[in-house]
Amino acid sequence: MISEYFPVLLFLAVAAVIGIALLVLGNVLGPKKAVAEKLAPYECGFEAFEDARMRFDVRYYLVAILFILFDLEVAFLIPWAVVFEDVGLPALVAMGIFLLILTVGFIYEWKKGALEWE
Amino acid sequence: MFDPLRDILLGYGNTGLTVWVLLKILAIAVPVIITVAMFVYWERKVIGWMHARMGPNQIGPLGLLQAFADVFKLLFKEVLRPDAANKTMFFLAPLIALVPALAAWAVVPFDAGVVLSNLNVGLLFLLAMTSMGVYGIILAGWASNSRYAMLGAMRAAAQTVSYEIAMGFALVSVLILSGSLNLSEIVLAQKGSKGLLDWFWLPLLPMFVIYFVSGVAETNRAPFDVAEGESEIVAGFHVEYSGSAFAIFFLAEYANMILIAFLASVLFLGGWLSPFPESWGFLGAPGWWWTFAKAFFFSFFYLWFRASFPRYRYDQIMRLGWKVFIPITIVWVAVAACMKYFGWVTIGA
Amino acid sequence: MTFELVCFYVFAAVAAAAALAVISVRNPVVAALSLVLTFFSMACVWLLADAEFLAVALVLVYVGAVMVLFLFVVMMLDIELVPLRETASRFLPIGVAVAAVMLVEMLMLIGVRSLKVEPIADPAATAGLSNIEWLARSLFTDYLLPFEVAALILTVGLIAAVPLTLRHRVGVKKQNPSRQVQVRREDRLRIIKMAAETKQGESP
Repeated sequence: MISEYFPVLLFLAVAAVIGIALLVLGNVLGPKKAVAEKLAPYECGFEAFEDARMRFDVRYYLVAILFILFDLEVAFLIPWAVVFEDVGLPALVAMGIFLLILTVGFIYEWKKGALEWE
Repeated sequence: MFDPLRDILLGYGNTGLTVWVLLKILAIAVPVIITVAMFVYWERKVIGWMHARMGPNQIGPLGLLQAFADVFKLLFKEVLRPDAANKTMFFLAPLIALVPALAAWAVVPFDAGVVLSNLNVGLLFLLAMTSMGVYGIILAGWASNSRYAMLGAMRAAAQTVSYEIAMGFALVSVLILSGSLNLSEIVLAQKGSKGLLDWFWLPLLPMFVIYFVSGVAETNRAPFDVAEGESEIVAGFHVEYSGSAFAIFFLAEYANMILIAFLASVLFLGGWLSPFPESWGFLGAPGWWWTFAKAFFFSFFYLWFRASFPRYRYDQIMRLGWKVFIPITIVWVAVAACMKYFGWVTIGA
Repeated sequence: MTFELVCFYVFAAVAAAAALAVISVRNPVVAALSLVLTFFSMACVWLLADAEFLAVALVLVYVGAVMVLFLFVVMMLDIELVPLRETASRFLPIGVAVAAVMLVEMLMLIGVRSLKVEPIADPAATAGLSNIEWLARSLFTDYLLPFEVAALILTVGLIAAVPLTLRHRVGVKKQNPSRQVQVRREDRLRIIKMAAETKQGESP
C-alpha cells in the first residue's frame, strides 16, 4: 500500500522542481531594469495611501467557519459511504439522524441571514 | 510497448525503479504543460469564432505556434519583485499553487490500468489536493502587499472554499454509488450493458451538473471570475506578478481546469468506457481515447461558458454556492444512499 | 535502514522543525504556514503507519479548512507585534506553568501506558480490511452514539458562529433573485385604455 504513495511523493517533488525551474529561468532570461515606479504596489495612477493589509469584513470569517463545519461533515460522510451497504440499516438511520441534526443548524443559519452576502 | 525499457530499468533495483517512475511522471507532466499551452490557443480560437473573429492566425500555420510564442514571451519578461512585497512568500506562492495542481494528476486513470498511482483512497487524495490550492491564492494576495491583490485573494479564497463543499458532497454521492475510493474502480462500477445509460451522470444528474459548475467556480473561471474581475480589481491576486512567476499561476489554473474536465469524465461519464454497445466493433471498444474525448468535451464547456455568460456578481456567486448547491447536494446524497440501499441502480456489469 | 524508516525520520524531523518554527518566528503569517507544514508532515508520518484515512482527513480538514481560517484571522487582524510582546511577557509565568503541567501529565500517561500495554497489532490488518473500511465499520457499529454527538457538536458550532461573526449592515440595497424570477407582467406593466387622439378642431 505504501509503495503506491512513492510515485505521489515523487510527483510532488517533480512539480516543485518544474515550478522552481520556471522561476529561475524567468529570472535569468528576463531583463532586470527595475525602477522605483515599477516596483511600487499597483494603484490607479496615485501613490498608495496606506498599508494594503487592511482589516476585512467579518463575513469572511463566517464563511471560513462554516466551511470548516461542512468540511467535517464531508469527512464523516466519506467513511460512511464506503461501508454503509455492509453495515446496513443502522448505518443508514445513523447518517439520516446526523444529516437531520446538521440540517437544523443549516436552516438556522439560513433564517438568521448568515448565508446572505450583503 | 514500453515493457522492455521497464524491465531493463527494474533490473537496476531501486534506482531503476525511481528512474522508471520519474519517466512515467514526466510522461504525464510534460503533456499536461503542452496541453495547457495548446488549450490557451484553442481558447482564443474558439472565443474568436464565437465572436465572429479569426483568433490567432499569424504565427505558424493556422496560428498554431502562438501558444509557444506566448510561453517564450512570458519567459523573457522581467520578473518584478515589488518593494512592498514579502519576497520569500511572494515567490513561494506560485509554487504552492502549482504543486497540488500538478500532483493531483498522479491518481487520474486514463485507461484500464493506465494510472501512475492506483491509490486506494484516490478520491480523498484529490479532495486534499484541491483543498490545498487555495493557499497559493491567499499567500499571493498577502505577500504582494497590494490592495487589489489582497481584495482578489480574499474573494477568491472565500469563493473557492464555498464551492469546495458542494464539490465534496458531489464526490461523496459518487462514492456512495461506487462503494470505492479508487478511481479505476469507480469507472468499472459504471460498466454495464446499457452503455452510457449505466454511467453515473444519470442517477446523479444534479450532482453531475453541480460538480462541473463548482469546478468552474473553484478554478475562478468565467462566469465566476470576480477574483480576477479586471473591470474592478484589475487582475486580482496575481496583479503584482509578471513574467514566469505569472506564468506559473496561469499554468496552475489551466492544469486545474483540464484536471476537472478529466475528473468529470472519470467520475460521471465512465472514463475509458465506450458509450456504444460492444457489438459495434471499434466504436464499442473501451479505450483511453474515450477518456480524452470526454475530457476534451468538458474543457470545451469552459470556453463556451466564458464566451456566453456575463460575469456573476459576488453576492450572487455566494448565494448560488450556499443557498442552491449545498441544499441540493445534501438532499441528493440522501437520495443516492436510498438508490444504492434499495437497489434502484445497477452497479458494475 | 529501510527506505520507509528514512522517510519516517525525514517527515518527523520536518514536523518537529516546523513546529518549532511556529512558536519561534516573528511573522504570524509565517508561523501559521509553518503550522500547515507541521500538519502535512504529520499526515505523511501517519501514512507510513498505514493510517491512510486519518492522514488524508488531516490534510483535508486541518490543512484545507482550519488553517485557512487561521490565515484569514492572522492576516487581517493587523497584529501589532510590539504590544503583543509586552503582554506575552506578562503571561509568561502562567504559560510556563500550563506547559509544565501538561508535560508532566503526558509523561505520566506515557509511563503508565508503557507499563501495562503491549504494542498492539494493526486491527485493520488482522481483520483483513483496508484502514478506512475498518475505521468506518467500528465507527458505525460500536461508536454510533459518539458519532451522533459529533453531529450535535457541529450544530452547536454552526449556531455559535452566528452571534460571534454575523453583523447585518444597514441600508444595503440589493435585489432578491427569487422575487425577480417570480415577477409577473401585471406587477410591472399596466395597460390602460385611452381615447384615440383627434386633430384640432375636429369633434371626437
